[in-house]
Amino acid sequence: MSPHSSYEAQLDAYLDGELAAGDARELETHLAQCPDCTRFRDRRLELRAAIVTGAPTFEAPPALRERVRAAGREAARGARTPRHFAIRNLWRPLALAASLAVVALGSWTLARQRAAVDALADDVLASHVRSLMPGHLTDVPSSDQHTVKPWFNGRLDFSPPVYDFAGRGYPLLGGRIDYVGGQPVAALVYGRRQHMINVFLWPAARGSAGGPATRTRQGYHELHWTTGDYTYWVVSDLGLAELQEFAQLLRQADSTAAVPSPR
Amino acid sequence: MESSALARFEAVVLPHLDAAYTLARYLTRNAQDAEDIVQDACLRALKYFEGFRGEEGTSARAWLLTIVRNTAYSARGHRRGEAATEFDETLHSDAIADEHPEAALLRTAAKESLGRAIDRLAPEFREVIVLRELEGLSYKEISDVTGVPVGTVMSRLSRARARLQEALT
Repeated sequence: MSPHSSYEAQLDAYLDGELAAGDARELETHLAQCPDCTRFRDRRLELRAAIVTGAPTFEAPPALRERVRAAGREAARGARTPRHFAIRNLWRPLALAASLAVVALGSWTLARQRAAVDALADDVLASHVRSLMPGHLTDVPSSDQHTVKPWFNGRLDFSPPVYDFAGRGYPLLGGRIDYVGGQPVAALVYGRRQHMINVFLWPAARGSAGGPATRTRQGYHELHWTTGDYTYWVVSDLGLAELQEFAQLLRQADSTAAVPSPR
Repeated sequence: MESSALARFEAVVLPHLDAAYTLARYLTRNAQDAEDIVQDACLRALKYFEGFRGEEGTSARAWLLTIVRNTAYSARGHRRGEAATEFDETLHSDAIADEHPEAALLRTAAKESLGRAIDRLAPEFREVIVLRELEGLSYKEISDVTGVPVGTVMSRLSRARARLQEALT
């Protein structure tokens, strides 16, 4: 057991981003001079990474999802909530047949596409989690977009658009180079209260505009979309509604900043 | 309930169905029970939905997970025999039963052991780990879901992680 066991719960709260700023500073001072607590912190970081990548999450079975929808429709029609799923046994074969048909039609064309996007989503999530470990968040820590944007010059072969949404409660915290999907990409970091938002972007393949799409994995939300110029992945443990608001700000800024480019 | 309310119900509840099911899986440690719990919870959610306004700070996810948790605990109260929290080998055998090739077993070994380590935690530790690490709730939200003070959430999480660390080394 650590000789500073009183710090253990505090350290966990610190890593969770739940420690008040004053306490966090005090703890960082202590960490700087206590190898035991530093070791403890490193083991905790390993455990957290292991949980995020290793603990299974489960998808609600399609039949269950369909039954919940049916119950909602039933309640809307009958104006009274059914006490039990009397139709449950009827729904099972119906839902099963429906989902089998959907699977048969859809899986063929979608499977390969989806596998590629899944791999990318995993990559983005892993990069996000890694960035949260102390010292990994930014290569250029700055809230000034005019410092962050030029920093990428000569480091990437594109110049990513950088905005500051401090006025809307999403301050810019900095940027770094990251490696996603087998290529170096720009990573911009924004904050929201205690939460970190990573924005990954790289030049889009021609004619691939689309999105945004949402995924939730291990408690993290990922939004991704493609504009005429860039492919975006935004990831955070922030609530989905707020993350969507943030993505909306980003898309608005992009569309108003877009001057017709000569390419 | 009118059709606009139905649209709102679907918009609020359906996006969190996977989260609800995951919590139920960890609380019951059984696929069929989890399905029943989520289904009952959604019925309750329908009933109380008019009361859910979705004001600033009230996360739909936390709201639904609260109902799932309460449903799971009251179901367990009804079935005394299942209140025991020891890990039961047979409960999880379905996860590995269909994956016989050794390669698949090796690939899932890490997941399996982490999942098992979480399953072996006492319920009050298991739920905070799932709510924090897998569902991404804040301490305040976990406090709302479990009905214990934020300070208790903090110490339970820390003790739960200590136990997991012991179990995995």
